Amino acid sequence: MNPFFQSTHSLHRRTFLGGAGLGLGALGLASLLGERAHAAAVTGGLPGLPHFAPKAKRLIYLFQSGAPSQLDLFDPKPHLARLRGTDLPDSIRRGQRLTGMTARQDKFPIAPSRFAFAQHGRAGAWLSELLPHTARVADELCFVRSMHTEAINHDPAITFFQTGAQLAGRPSIGAWLGYGLGSENADLPAFVALISNGSGNPADQPLYDRLWGSGFLPTQHQGVKFRSAGDPVLFLSNPPGVDAASRRRMLDDLARLNSLQHGEVGDPEIAARISQYELAYRMQASVPELADLSREPAHVLDRYGPDARRPGTFAANCILARRLCERGVRFVQLFHRGWDQHTKLPAQIAGQCRDTDQPGAALIEDLRQRGLLKDTLVVWGGEFGRTVYCQGRLTADDYGRDHHPRCFTIWMAGGGIRAGHTHGQTDEFGYNISRDAVHVHDLHATLLHCLGVEHTQLTFKFQGRNHRLTDVHGSVVKDLLA
Amino acid sequence: MRRLGPSLAFLLASIPAWSAPVEFRRDILPILSENCFACHGPDEKARKAGLHLDLRDAATRPAKSGAIAIVPGNAAKSQLHQRITAAADSDEVMPPTRTGKRLSAAQMELLRRWIDEGAKYEAHWAFVPPAVPPRPVVKDGQWARGAIDEFVLARLEAQGLRPSPEAQRPAWLRRVSLDLTGLPPTLAEMDAFLADTTSKAYEKVVDRLLASPRYGERMAIGWLEAARYADTSGYQTDGDRTMWRWRDWVIDAFNRNLPYDQFTVEQLAGDLLPGSTLPQRIATGFNRNHRGNAEGGIIAAEYAVEYVVDRVDTTATVWLGLTMGCARCHDHKFDPITQREFYQLFAFFNNVPEKGRAVKIGNSPPMVASPTDTQAKELAALDTRLDDARRRWRAQAANLGRDQLAWESSLGSPPDSDWAMADGLHARFPLDGNLDCSEGNQSAAKVREGAARFVDGSVGRGRALALEGTRYLDCGDVGDFGFLDKFTLAARVRPDGARGGAILSRMIEQDADSGFASDSEGYSVHLKEGRVQVYLTKRWLDDALRVETEKAIAPDAWHHIAVSYDGSRAAAGVRVYVDGTLQKTRVLLDELNQTFATKQPLRVGAGGGPAHRFHGAIADVRVYGRVLTDEEAAAMGAPESLAELARMPAPRRSPAQIAKLRLAFLDRHAPEALRAAHRGMVALQRQREAFIEGLPTTMVMEELPIPRESFVLLRGEYDKPGERVQPGFPAALGAAPQHPPRNRLDFARWLVSPEHPLTARVAVNHAWQRFFGAGLVRTPEDFGAQGEPPTHPELLDWLAREFVRTGWDLKGLHRLIVLSATYRQSSRVSPAMQARDPDNRLLARAPRLRLPAEMIRDQALFAAGLLVERVGGPSVMPYQPAGLWKELSGTDHVPGRGEDLWRRSLYTFWKRTSPPPMMMTFDAAGREACSVRRPRTSTPLQALVLMNDVTYVEAARKLAERALRNGGATPATRLAFAFRLVNARAPQPAELEVLMAGYEQQRARFEKDPKSAAALLEVGQAPRDASLPVAEVAAFTTVASLILNLDEAMTRP
Repeated sequence: MNPFFQSTHSLHRRTFLGGAGLGLGALGLASLLGERAHAAAVTGGLPGLPHFAPKAKRLIYLFQSGAPSQLDLFDPKPHLARLRGTDLPDSIRRGQRLTGMTARQDKFPIAPSRFAFAQHGRAGAWLSELLPHTARVADELCFVRSMHTEAINHDPAITFFQTGAQLAGRPSIGAWLGYGLGSENADLPAFVALISNGSGNPADQPLYDRLWGSGFLPTQHQGVKFRSAGDPVLFLSNPPGVDAASRRRMLDDLARLNSLQHGEVGDPEIAARISQYELAYRMQASVPELADLSREPAHVLDRYGPDARRPGTFAANCILARRLCERGVRFVQLFHRGWDQHTKLPAQIAGQCRDTDQPGAALIEDLRQRGLLKDTLVVWGGEFGRTVYCQGRLTADDYGRDHHPRCFTIWMAGGGIRAGHTHGQTDEFGYNISRDAVHVHDLHATLLHCLGVEHTQLTFKFQGRNHRLTDVHGSVVKDLLA
Repeated sequence: MRRLGPSLAFLLASIPAWSAPVEFRRDILPILSENCFACHGPDEKARKAGLHLDLRDAATRPAKSGAIAIVPGNAAKSQLHQRITAAADSDEVMPPTRTGKRLSAAQMELLRRWIDEGAKYEAHWAFVPPAVPPRPVVKDGQWARGAIDEFVLARLEAQGLRPSPEAQRPAWLRRVSLDLTGLPPTLAEMDAFLADTTSKAYEKVVDRLLASPRYGERMAIGWLEAARYADTSGYQTDGDRTMWRWRDWVIDAFNRNLPYDQFTVEQLAGDLLPGSTLPQRIATGFNRNHRGNAEGGIIAAEYAVEYVVDRVDTTATVWLGLTMGCARCHDHKFDPITQREFYQLFAFFNNVPEKGRAVKIGNSPPMVASPTDTQAKELAALDTRLDDARRRWRAQAANLGRDQLAWESSLGSPPDSDWAMADGLHARFPLDGNLDCSEGNQSAAKVREGAARFVDGSVGRGRALALEGTRYLDCGDVGDFGFLDKFTLAARVRPDGARGGAILSRMIEQDADSGFASDSEGYSVHLKEGRVQVYLTKRWLDDALRVETEKAIAPDAWHHIAVSYDGSRAAAGVRVYVDGTLQKTRVLLDELNQTFATKQPLRVGAGGGPAHRFHGAIADVRVYGRVLTDEEAAAMGAPESLAELARMPAPRRSPAQIAKLRLAFLDRHAPEALRAAHRGMVALQRQREAFIEGLPTTMVMEELPIPRESFVLLRGEYDKPGERVQPGFPAALGAAPQHPPRNRLDFARWLVSPEHPLTARVAVNHAWQRFFGAGLVRTPEDFGAQGEPPTHPELLDWLAREFVRTGWDLKGLHRLIVLSATYRQSSRVSPAMQARDPDNRLLARAPRLRLPAEMIRDQALFAAGLLVERVGGPSVMPYQPAGLWKELSGTDHVPGRGEDLWRRSLYTFWKRTSPPPMMMTFDAAGREACSVRRPRTSTPLQALVLMNDVTYVEAARKLAERALRNGGATPATRLAFAFRLVNARAPQPAELEVLMAGYEQQRARFEKDPKSAAALLEVGQAPRDASLPVAEVAAFTTVASLILNLDEAMTRP
């Protein structure tokens, strides 16, 4: 029994990444004694979680920032071709609010998709010609055509998707998962964010650190952004002139001095500090290995497409997501920018699909072949949909679409999800949901359900109230479950 | 025991001995609030079975069924008791099984005893004004230095505990220096204190620290976070804003010890104080620090509401310690605050003349120019010079009329001449029979879609370009202006009939023969149905500024049109002149948020596409890169030559003609002394205007003359107004005022009235948290029923009363706390005590606290001798890994140079969507919303920052140099020197041994590997002391880095 062991019990709330209270106090000392640390099974998390046996152990969320057009990718409305350029009937619009960008338009001309749709797989899922690779894995996917949200602009809408609230300040999905379920890898954070830029629309909407923030949860639950340039994790590399051996020596000396101080003052925080430095040291070794895709076999890289060899692309991030999941990271949140097609939609969306179609499909196949798909949940989608009416000028081969929160499509796959299924239906104009609406809170409830969490029971008391990801709403959508 | 959480620990420490009577506020209300009030509490709409337990009358009344929830004196007959003790799986049990809640046996027992003892209700403690509590009697009268200590000791003695011994002097000195100034003591300060054996030694230190300007900087840290202060506006666009003059006001207010009641009134309503000063107006920036949404296409009304809600939430959290936001959508579930009362508070903050959509870059109105003291002096000096220049001008101008008359009479003889204002003229195309550019370096314009044709010009003078609705002129890259530029455009036009069209533009041409489209980007001056229209557009429908003149001009006649824009992004910044006369205009759209600059050429007779070609004739096109004065603009309106004007009888001259003659004389023909005086005055006037425009501004609160109507918003939604409400205070927080409150000033004065139950308690609790790491109420944001009750309620009340009694004297309060014996205790903790009171609720020791992010950095810079101490000024950009901003948005972070790298951390530029990574890693709040409590975590990312961030490697390097230069002759003395600089104590022999061994090992390594040594010494911009041996500095740098990474270094002892 080491002297830290007994006194670290009150620290679990304040140690890393959901991790570590008891175990790492001991690890700090273990390394002092020259022993090699081993990853713990699960560190951190709340007692009693998961609430029931999870179907998915981890989640990869391929967030398509800017809002892809469901009408050009997933939700065909072939008869609209005949109505091209005619005004969207008031009976469909029903005076619902529009963004300030098109609210002053004097006409709302219908812009049918320029792209051809076909059915794919045994289940016959409809997909546009822009998604040939997704078509290949269509039978693995569950399409939700009846998503809807409350926000009508990017910031509140993305924030809503990531935190369950439109205004800043709430924890993101990954922070909730780390807080509730802890980490399965003692050398890596439980929650990683990866960012890529769209080639279809490179000057697109910004992102914000708060999207992977911890909100009112303790800071250690914030997502760690892995970067494609410089250190994969901020400040990971030793400064020039300091090699690994020197760092090891420094850490040994640091642990000695901190132990002496612990003997003086008895503060158990010191034990936690020692273990955090050891964890940092292990990350210095594990993260570069993890982020280095050069050792992936050529056929794997080829599967993810030509971008896979360029760091920072969506393709490279998909491979990285798989590698993170293989190492027990609970939640990998990708953001791919560039989907905000107010104008020049046909040209831009083709570029966006080139970025994402093949890598997304490859990720599904890769996970499946490695046996990971059955307990990895994958979600693909944006923050809202796009209007059936044209924003700006409708020409023979060009159109734009404004934000549309009333219906849009996402797909899900993997652990716990009903493969080869299409859920929900929109009206003949693709403007309102006609059947089986799925709200963002419902999606969150369903994601948590797949991960073994009853969404009403994962709470944190802040400002006098027990908060949860789904606020006071949300129900699990049973029809999406396998 | 793994999950021994704070609530259980608290219960263990706070449950009274069984013999003591149950106290409603302390023992019962928290149980009811947590478990019952969601369905049986103040929120009427959520109430189940008509039962509410928050009021005694209601809870003791028979229900329809005849059952009585609480029968005072008889728990057995009380439904409440029967239901909470029902079998866990029964339908009867409360709280219902689905809530996952279940009372503990101890809680059931407390409720039973409370009912049996008569079920006495009391108002929630925090809503009852504090009384001065009697000083407790303590056994160890020696230990206590004052009331604080008596209250703490009484609690300890009741638990059979003793306080800890005094901290070692060095530890106390480091503690109090960090707590009051955010920086550790210097070696000289340490030596002086250790040598001071007088009885006033501690007081002397505290008074020195309170008098230091660093005190205000340190105190500002928490306040900036509470006030959600930042240097950008947040939301998606997150453009820069300028609020640092407010930040500096805060620092200054702390330093001059502005009493907390005034501190409060000035920040909430300084603008409404009689004869309010500029600093008092700047102070109101507190409630403009909230985020502002500039995203394209937002619904402005939605965010206008969010801003007001933010003000209410923030103000309530900071001053009242209440979660007022809970009452936005429904009555508060736990505290006696109704939704209506929320909107009565909302009404106080809903009268700002603001738009829901924020300005994309810069401050959103209302704002004030906020010169610093230095700038105010510079401005005064400029004014003096301008006065002198005006005096010189007046002296010279005494004979102006006579001189001008003489000149005019000389104009009769040929050659006749014309005159045009040349100052600021970028280009002029007279179009007088050719397409040449007469001023500026432009080549001649080209006619597009046809060949040039000229017709007679105005008043029979010269020629003009004829346009028939297809042809237009391409003037090339002239007039490349954007939304922050100042410019004037002018031309003489003769419209054919009422058809008009575009006169001048730089705008994207639509190919189709149709109207403007969303991408009709650029600027354009049009004539439509005789009205002059000005378009400055980024996106036609929603990001544009469009105005038109009220009066139409006569068709088929020559007119002079001039348009100026002052770069203000507001419709009010556009002026239109017709024939030299300033026109009244109507605003068609006033939503310009992004620049309208384009790569389009300047077109004459075209703008926006073929549908808008000009029909008529155009001449004398001019582009100025400045805003012409009214007189200058008027002068352009007179087409006549100077001789023609001179020949006109003076009374018949129009204002335009008068202006032209006068300006031409002053510009070209007056005696040199007169012209020089005029030039000098104009130059100074412009210099003054530029200076004022360059002043920092601050967004401030202002009151609309007629208050905006406020309504209860159903479900909190901006577009669901319900009942109209007037400003008012929550009834639970005290007696209704004599007169209905009108505005924020009434609100602020209510807040700081001495009888207010919350304001002083919340304020002293913030102070306590600052010095003990946690407040006496550990939920400083929530003093309501769901918050934690105070660990030392009498002490809290005593401090609150004392604070008010001493005139809200903050420095006095801080002095009182840090000179207490409680504060002076050692932070050493035994395993037994750690087990008994892990969260230190009893205060039997001083807390050992990891330093806030700002202090960790400031201390490292200070120890290294790098810290640049200068109070206030624009925010700075210290080191940050490259590309952090760029990968999220378009803009990039450009690190400062030199001193900007080493300022105190509260001056670091705060970008809300990508805050400084070191700060966030060390638990700073993101500044998106109010935060009054920081967690203190321990993570490996923190280790990576302190080991590898250039800031800390550079600091280690400079600390090493400093130790090598000033730390004595041997490695041991130098290491001890560096260690003491950081930790304020000498190292123990065992510690020194570890440092020495590490140093020797590294020195040996670097001596063998000079390249690595050189590489390490290259880190950071601070110049290297080349007189010191490379290997030694490198080796010492690694040890200095080790010292900065010590747990002790980052911890307040």
